[in-house]
Amino acid sequence: MRAHIPALKALKVPSAIQARRTRRTIVLAAAIAIAAAGCSSSSSSSTTSTTSTPASTATSSASTSAVNTSQCGTKPGVAATGTPIALGAIVTNQPGTSFTDIPNMANAYFACVNANGGINGHPIKLYIETEQTNPAQIAADAKQLVDTDHVVGIIGNTSIIECSVDSSYWQKLGYYIIDSGIAPECYSTPNSAAVNMGPRYSSDGAVQYALAQHVNKIVFDQSNVPGTGYIAAGPDALAKAANVPIVQLTENVPISDADSVAIKEVDDAGPDGAVVLNFTPPEALVILQAAQKLGLEDRVKLWGCSTPCNTDFLAQSLGPKWNSKLFVNAELLPPDVTNTPTMSLYKAILKQYGSAVSGGIGSFSQMGFTEAEIAVHALEGITGAYTVASVNAAFKGVSNFNTGMLCQLWSYGDYPMHIPNNMDSTVTPDNGKMVTAQGCTLISSVDPQVAAYRTAAGTAAMAPAS
Amino acid sequence: MPPWSDFEPFIVSGLALGGVYALSGVGLVVLYRATGVLYLAFGAVGALGALTAWSLGQVGAPGWVTWLTCIAVAAAVTLAYGVIFGPALSKRDPLVKAVATIGLTLILYGLMDLLWTTSGGEARSLTLPTDNGGFSIGQIQVNWTQVIALAAGVVITAGTGAFLRFTKLGTAMRAMANDREITATLGVPVRKVEAAAWLGCGVLAGIAGLLLADLVALDATTLTFLVISSLAAVLIGRLHSITVTFAAAIVVGLLHDLLTPINSLTNYRDMTPFVLAAVALLVMPRRQVMAQSREEA
Amino acid sequence: MRDTITRAAPSRVRQKPSRPQLTRAAIITVLLLFTLFALPQILSLYYVDTMTQVAVYSMVTLALGVLVGRVGLVSLGQVAVLAIGAWVAARLLFATTQPYPLILLEAGLITMAAGVLIGLPALRLRGLYLALITLMFAGAITVVLATVNFPNGGHGFTGYNGSLVHIPPIRRPAAAGTDPAYFRYSVIVAILMFLLVFAHIKTRPGRAWAAIRQSEPAALAAGINTWFYKLWAFALASFITGVAGGVLAGAVHYLYSIDFPTQDSITLLAVTLMGGVYSMWGAVVAAFLYQFLPALLNNWGVSADWLIILFGLGVLQVLTTAPAGLVDQVPKDLARLGRLLRRPRKTK
Repeated sequence: MRAHIPALKALKVPSAIQARRTRRTIVLAAAIAIAAAGCSSSSSSSTTSTTSTPASTATSSASTSAVNTSQCGTKPGVAATGTPIALGAIVTNQPGTSFTDIPNMANAYFACVNANGGINGHPIKLYIETEQTNPAQIAADAKQLVDTDHVVGIIGNTSIIECSVDSSYWQKLGYYIIDSGIAPECYSTPNSAAVNMGPRYSSDGAVQYALAQHVNKIVFDQSNVPGTGYIAAGPDALAKAANVPIVQLTENVPISDADSVAIKEVDDAGPDGAVVLNFTPPEALVILQAAQKLGLEDRVKLWGCSTPCNTDFLAQSLGPKWNSKLFVNAELLPPDVTNTPTMSLYKAILKQYGSAVSGGIGSFSQMGFTEAEIAVHALEGITGAYTVASVNAAFKGVSNFNTGMLCQLWSYGDYPMHIPNNMDSTVTPDNGKMVTAQGCTLISSVDPQVAAYRTAAGTAAMAPAS
Repeated sequence: MPPWSDFEPFIVSGLALGGVYALSGVGLVVLYRATGVLYLAFGAVGALGALTAWSLGQVGAPGWVTWLTCIAVAAAVTLAYGVIFGPALSKRDPLVKAVATIGLTLILYGLMDLLWTTSGGEARSLTLPTDNGGFSIGQIQVNWTQVIALAAGVVITAGTGAFLRFTKLGTAMRAMANDREITATLGVPVRKVEAAAWLGCGVLAGIAGLLLADLVALDATTLTFLVISSLAAVLIGRLHSITVTFAAAIVVGLLHDLLTPINSLTNYRDMTPFVLAAVALLVMPRRQVMAQSREEA
Repeated sequence: MRDTITRAAPSRVRQKPSRPQLTRAAIITVLLLFTLFALPQILSLYYVDTMTQVAVYSMVTLALGVLVGRVGLVSLGQVAVLAIGAWVAARLLFATTQPYPLILLEAGLITMAAGVLIGLPALRLRGLYLALITLMFAGAITVVLATVNFPNGGHGFTGYNGSLVHIPPIRRPAAAGTDPAYFRYSVIVAILMFLLVFAHIKTRPGRAWAAIRQSEPAALAAGINTWFYKLWAFALASFITGVAGGVLAGAVHYLYSIDFPTQDSITLLAVTLMGGVYSMWGAVVAAFLYQFLPALLNNWGVSADWLIILFGLGVLQVLTTAPAGLVDQVPKDLARLGRLLRRPRKTK
């Protein structure tokens, strides 16, 4: 790496200089070629994937083609042309973890609404900021949305740490965000209400199901990302209340040695125990496949998983040995077996407007749909100007809304904390698809946070959807 | 301390993990002996090949076509790199050559994430037909893929060691890795030998990539940076002895998994390769070689 | 500044600064004043936050540049050292009410001690082995951090409470709480670190390092205690990176172990090489590449992967054709372009 001493250069054989020039040209040409390729392909943050979409899209019922998506808006067929209503979203998008499907699906819903009347003639414009779990970047993204893009509401946030980083900022400015929560602050602050349950309460649901099957020990294993203690506290409380011993494990992700992870889990659980996982789908898949390869899947009474496992893709990758062996907590109603008008609309909008949603039918796109649905419902009730104050008052005022995607009616409300989705079902793989194993069940109030929310929100928290 | 029976299954899984480390580690040392370059992009080219194989499999290509493509892709990229950048950097010291391969690693890593994006719900996996058979050792099932990985490590160790020492081409490769200019003056067809070395190493990387994608995970980040953990075995072998590298890899894998049931240490077991490498380098005596770049001559 | 490398035995007589040197100093002063006072007013808060990161990482690339460019040691573990500095600063910020500059100093010193502890055994190795052993240490530290986590206001040695439902933010200095004010604060700290390195280069350590870079056997023969000066470089680099970690803690308010992965050290080396390791300006260029470009691309909706590819190409380019990096290459290319443009007029 030293600078070439000029005197020696003169002694070099000319071909070496020629070779060097050729190499420089090649490097530059490669750079230009790649840049050209990049310019020609989609350069948005939601790049189109060249991988095949999961087969589950093919299983969507035939009725989707007959469903008219124009029912998403108030004036079918009339494109909205007024001044746009600016909304914003911050989402994690990094190698190995990408939640872009959620705001992208929300955007698809907004596109449908914009094509069918908008909000009183105003189209919705969603600004999506991606981040790579860097707190400085996330704080900067929030300021970009507020100061530069002038968004009047935040909907669609899905990030490993955004709620922790920005919650005091949103509180200061008076934004009441609608998100898909992960970090503790998404559920424990007044300014965030989530459509999903998040890792803690979803793990509660999975552990609750295992306890209901009378296992004598629980092994709870989760990925070592921020908040493990907060997440573990829920299953801990549930297990202690049921007098069942619980072992808490964490694994560094990405997992490079799934075999030892699977063996340890099975050894700790014992033949009448349960192993409950809280990982992103690729990591959960790696562990379960390792367990299968080692022949360990029947060495425990049952396996459980929090909501990220709830995808048909996982069901297909796992194979039939896991039928009625793996029980996954489903925060949202399962698309394959719920034949309501809202579910059909969701599938139709996904098909017509959801080209940027690479995961297809599944909980991520469902969450995006639900958040957009709530936002549109709130916005449609606003008379007068769409300002930060009016929009966020409308978001906060959403009460007992039937989203058609959740077990319960959804409310925001003026509470110090929000866990509006606290009722779930349990699904299990069945030859490549996820089917219901247990219908909508409330998460137990033994989890102190859930109890605190139900006290604050009153009976509204328990209302099941009709 | 848990009872001995708790450790038994981890011996088997530890050997399998050791086989994984051995594949990368031995591959890296072989490359170094043949080309003089510590090819840090070993994992990345393997991952590229494996992901290409996966994509072909998704569109219905038969298994053997996908595996050959994996090996071909890895070999092609490695050959291209070696032929373009090998001569340019041949006079620089090994550190510079290794850092240059970091450049290739970054290019491939960015490319892979662009072409095979991470979408929320999708998880890719590569399975080989040898996954479905096996035998039991105690309570643990061992599948044929793990056996193949271990066997491949042994074969590569023995085979390439002998190749480099006893054949004419192997000797020419070692000579070139040592000093390219002098080897050229001796009449060895330098460009051809160089191409052969890089091609062979690319094939190795492709085979390793295929097996690792099956055994570990089909994930660009995991496979690309698995090479960091494998470097431990490489360092213990002093970048010279292929046999020691193989043995060290097995030991690292075994120790890593054997720590799993020990509750106080289990969260730190991922440190095993790094601690062992540091200890080995600092404790064992070594030849005092002051790396002098050719530029100073 | 590159002259230091080729000068054999510089005279002790202090020379009056020449005209070009004075002009250069004046330009630098103007630029710094502009950065401190005008820039925060012009930029949106998004870019002010980004520029704070640039200031923080310019210290890290400066430290790495000292190791790589001045002494010839490649460290593949600089991000782990940054993590140590951030950890120490965060722990002290939560546990004590000491003033910020004191905490930065303490973070720097403790990180320096850690760097010396690692350097003591590691410096028995050279070249590729040294680089790889720093990578091994970095890998080990990363695993420990993933288990121990960063302090978040809890008690005990680690200061980490995993069950917190509301995580308190890491505090900033009382006078520099807002983003523009903290940006200025971090620029001032960065300037101090650059001055520290400048002082080193112009005095005995700088000359010793130049001799070691030229040829270590020759330096040894000349009676220079190479091991001591290499350790000094390690200590300096660790101190600066530790201080940078402290500034980072206040900038981000929340620290997570997933933000300091081992592979980031590799990318950091790539951008440091691209920026140019023989000039202190290279460190600033490298920090722009590492922090500003990604923020810019993120804003434009372009994937960060293109940047990773660019960095890979940049490393190859630097190592094969432009060893002194962009800082050296861009002015040369611009000068060449200027000559090309001027030539037609001459032949008329």
